[in-house]
Amino acid sequence: MGTLLQVKDLRTEFHTQDGVVHAVNGVTFHVDEGETLGLVGESGCGKSVSVLSVMRLIPQPPGKIPAGEVMFQGRDLLKVDDEEIRSVRGNKIAMVFQDPMTSLNPVLTINTQISESLELHLGMTKEQARKRAIELLKMVGIPEAEGRIDDYPHQFSGGMRQRVMIAMALSCSPQLLIADEPTTALDVTIQAQIIDIVKRLKRELGMAIIWITHDLGIIAGLADRINVMYAGFVIESASNKEIFANPLHPYTLGLLGSIPRLDAALKSKLTPIEGLPPDLIEMPKGCPFYDRCRHRTEKCANENPPLDLGAVRHWVACWNWQDVQKARSKQ
Amino acid sequence: MATLAASLPTQTRARSPQMWLLRRILTNPPAALGALVILLMLFAAIFAPLIAPYPYDQQNLDYIEKGPSAAHWFGTDGLGRDMFSRIVWGARSAVFVIVMVTAVSLALGVPLGAIAGYFGGWADTIIMRAADILFAFPGMLFVFFIAATIKPGIINWAREIGLSDLARTGYLDYAVVIIALGVIGWAGLARMIRAQVMTIKEREFVIGARATGVPAWRVILRHILPNAITPIIVAMSMGLGDIALSEGYLSFLGIGLQPPAPSWGNIIAENAGRYWRRFPEMIWLVFIPGLVLAAIVFAFNFFGDGLNEALNPEIVD
Amino acid sequence: MAAFVIRRLLWLPILLFFVSLITFALGVYGPGDPIKVLLGIRANPETIERLRHEYGFDQPFHIQYLRYVANALQGNFGYSLVKYRDQPVGGLIAHALPVTIQLNLVAIFLGLGIGVPLGLLAGLKRDTWIDLLIRGLVIAGISLPIIFLNPVLTFIFSRRHDIVLTAANLRFSIGPLLPMVQGYWDGIFSAKVILPAFIESLGIIAVMTRQMRAGMIEVLSEDYIRTARAKGLRERVVIVRHAMRNALIPIATILGLMMGGLVAGSFLVENWFGVPGVGALAFDALFSRDYYITMALVLLIAVAYVLSNLLVDLTYGLLDPRIRKA
Repeated sequence: MGTLLQVKDLRTEFHTQDGVVHAVNGVTFHVDEGETLGLVGESGCGKSVSVLSVMRLIPQPPGKIPAGEVMFQGRDLLKVDDEEIRSVRGNKIAMVFQDPMTSLNPVLTINTQISESLELHLGMTKEQARKRAIELLKMVGIPEAEGRIDDYPHQFSGGMRQRVMIAMALSCSPQLLIADEPTTALDVTIQAQIIDIVKRLKRELGMAIIWITHDLGIIAGLADRINVMYAGFVIESASNKEIFANPLHPYTLGLLGSIPRLDAALKSKLTPIEGLPPDLIEMPKGCPFYDRCRHRTEKCANENPPLDLGAVRHWVACWNWQDVQKARSKQ
Repeated sequence: MATLAASLPTQTRARSPQMWLLRRILTNPPAALGALVILLMLFAAIFAPLIAPYPYDQQNLDYIEKGPSAAHWFGTDGLGRDMFSRIVWGARSAVFVIVMVTAVSLALGVPLGAIAGYFGGWADTIIMRAADILFAFPGMLFVFFIAATIKPGIINWAREIGLSDLARTGYLDYAVVIIALGVIGWAGLARMIRAQVMTIKEREFVIGARATGVPAWRVILRHILPNAITPIIVAMSMGLGDIALSEGYLSFLGIGLQPPAPSWGNIIAENAGRYWRRFPEMIWLVFIPGLVLAAIVFAFNFFGDGLNEALNPEIVD
Repeated sequence: MAAFVIRRLLWLPILLFFVSLITFALGVYGPGDPIKVLLGIRANPETIERLRHEYGFDQPFHIQYLRYVANALQGNFGYSLVKYRDQPVGGLIAHALPVTIQLNLVAIFLGLGIGVPLGLLAGLKRDTWIDLLIRGLVIAGISLPIIFLNPVLTFIFSRRHDIVLTAANLRFSIGPLLPMVQGYWDGIFSAKVILPAFIESLGIIAVMTRQMRAGMIEVLSEDYIRTARAKGLRERVVIVRHAMRNALIPIATILGLMMGGLVAGSFLVENWFGVPGVGALAFDALFSRDYYITMALVLLIAVAYVLSNLLVDLTYGLLDPRIRKA
C-alpha cells in the first residue's frame, strides 16, 4: 500500500497576548492508503491542531505554521494556493468534528449543508445533489431520510447530527477522513453506534482514517497504527497491538494505567499521571514530560529525545525507554 | 474557534489587577487618548479661575465678534466675552453636572437595584416596574419635559422659602438639570445592579455568608456589591459622555444652564442663533464649543470602549 | 407563549395609567398656567378666570385627570391650547406622524445601508487598521452633538439650495435660543431630507456597525464555520451563506426595537431643518405649555415602545429556525 499523506516536521504556533503558544512542535507522521491511524493524547496536546494544520484550517492570525511539509498526492498542501487547498478540502480529505451540536450551521437545512459540497466538488445540479444527499443520509442510518432532508440541525439529536456530519464528510468519497474526537460529546451507547457506522463505511468505501481521541478504549478497536502525542510532540508510534502490549514511553504507560480494565484484578488501582503538561508558551529545553516522569535522568532535562529510538517498527521519544520496559516487566 | 481556544492553555499571570487594567488601557491608543482628554477637562474644571484669562461673563463692548488672536485664543462673542474663558468655565459646569448626576443616579440606582435583586418578591416587582415605566417614556423628550416642567416649580419654591436671590442667580438651573437627568439615570443602573446581584447572590461565598447569619445589608455591601462593580463601571463610563451631551442639549434649548452661566450647550445656542447668517466669518463661535463638547463625548466613548475591551478580552486574541 | 403575551398585554394598560398620570401631573403642576401663556402676562384676571373655568382648569386634579382619560378612551385627546389654538390634538398628530415616520425610515435605511457593510468589514478585518478606522469613525459619529452638526452641516451645504434652505427662506426665533426654520418640508423624495436623515442615522449606523462587527466576530469563531471551510467552500460563500445570516439575526431584533422609535421625532433635528413632524410638534408643545399635545405624544411613544418590545419577542424566531419551531 502506498503512502497517502506524509507529514514532516510540522510546527504550529499561536501568537497570543501572553506570548507564543507552541501547539505543535515538529510532528512527523504518515497515513497509508486505506489504513486507520489513531492519534492519542490528552486535551491540549496538539492532536487537533496538527490535523487542522494539515487542512490549513488554523485561523491565521493568531495561528501560524512556520515550518513543515504536508505531502498529499504529490504536492505540499502547505505550499499550494488557496484554490488548490479548497479543491482538496471536503473532496479528497474530509473532516468530522467533535461537537455535532455546534458544528452544523443552525440556519441552513441539512439538504443545503450536504448538497453544497456535492455541487462544488462534483458539479452536481441541485436535484442530483439532493438525491445523493438522501442516499447519504440513508447510508449513515438516518430513518426516513426523504422526510428529514429539509429539517434544520436543531431538529436532530446529537447522535443523529453526528451521522449527518459523517454523511457530509463522506459525500465526495474522500481518500482520507479525519475524525476529530467524533464521539467525545456523545452518550456511550451512541458512541458505539457511530463507531460501528464508521467501521462499516470504511469497509465499503475503503478510505483511510485519522481518528483523534483521548480515549484509548475507543482506539483499541479501531486503529491499525497509533501515534501518542504529548505537548505538541509525537512521543510514541507503533502498531495498535504493539502499543497496548509493549508501551515504551512512560507517558503511554501512564495513559494505559489510567484506564479502567474489566480483566484486571479488583485490587489493582487506577494510577493517574501526576502533575500537569508543560506551559506551551515557555517550553522546556529538554523532554517535555520531564516534570512528570518517574524515569527521568539528567540527560532528559537538557536534551529533548527524538522519535527515532525504540524497537523494530516501534518508535519512541524517550532516552530511557529500556528502563521503562524493564520496570514494566518487573511489575 | 471555540474548541480550539479551550484546548489551548490559558495563562493566568499573577499581577495586581489595577496595574494590569491600567496597562491595558494605556496600551490602547484611543482609550489612552480618551483618558488624556478627560484629564484635561478635569484639570480645566478644577483650575478654571487660574486658567481662564478673563471672567466668564466679563463683557468688552469695544471688542466684540473678533476672531481668534493672542489676547483671545478663541475670539470673542457678540457681547465681547472671551470665548476661551467661557469654554474653560464651561468645563467646570460640565464636570459638576456629570459628577452630580452620577451621584444622584448611584444614590438611587444602587440601593434600589440591590434591594430588587437581593430580596426579589414584591420589592423587586415594584422597583422594576417603576424602572419599566421610566423606560417607556421617550428618552430625551422626557428629560426635556421634566426639566421644562420642574424649572418654574423649583424657582417658585425658592422664592417662597425666601431665597429669591438664589432664584435669580442661575444656580437653580444646575439643580434642574441634575434632577432631570438623575431621575432618568437611576433606572438603567438599577436594572444592571439587579442583574449582577441576582447572579452573585447564588455564589458559594454569599450563600456561606448568609448561612452564618450575616445581616442582609452587610452581605450586600461587603460581599455582593464589590463583585458587581466592574460591569457597572464600564457602563457608567460610557454613560458619562451622554450626561455631558444631555446637559449641552438642555442648555442649548434654554431649559438647562442660562447665559451668562457658562455651558458649552448655551454657547453654541447663543452663537448659532445670532450668527447664523454670518456663518462663514463667524463659524468659530459655533465650531469651537461644538468641537469641545464633541471631544468630551468622544473621549468618554473611547475610554469606555477601551475599558470594556480590557475587562472582557476574548481568549484567543 | 400565550400566557406570556397575555401578561405583557395586561401590563400595557397599567403602564399607560402610570405614564399618563405622571405626565398629567407634570403638566398640571409644572410648567405654569397655559392660560397665562395664552393670554400674556398683562391679561385681565377676569378673563383668565373665565377661560380657566371654560377649560376646566379650576377643577380638582383627579377630576381633570379622569375627564382626560374618559375623553382619551373615546379617541379625544383634547385641543391645542396655544399655538394651534383649538385644533384637536389627534388631528395635529395625524399630520405630523407620517412625516416623522418617513424621515425615520429614511434614517433607518441609511443606518442599515451604511452600518451593516461597515460592521461586516470591521469584523472580517478585525484588529487591522481598517477595523480601527471604522470603529473610530463610528464612535466619532455618535460623539458629534446634534447641536454641533446642525449648524456646521448647514453651513457646509449653505450654497446647495436644493439641500438646505436659502437664507431668504429662513425664519429665526431666538426666543428659547433655538434657531428655527419652519414649514418647507417637501417630503422624503426631495433632497432636503438628506441632512436631517443623515444626522438622525448616525446613531443607527453606530448601533448597526457595532452589532454587525461583534456578530461577525462571534459567528466566525463558531464550529460550523470551520465545518464550512473544511468542505472546501470559497471564503466568500463561507461568509455570505454561513456567517452573515447568523450575524444578521440580532440586527433584525434591533430593527424591531427601532420600530417603536419610529413615531418619536428628534426635535433638535426636526426643528432645525423645518421638518413638520412629531419632534417639531413636541417642541412647540413643550415650550408653549400646550400640554394636551405633550401628553398625547408621550402616551403615543410609550405605547409604541411597549408594543415594539412585544413584537420583537414574538417575532424573534422568524430568522432563527431554532426558535421558530420551539
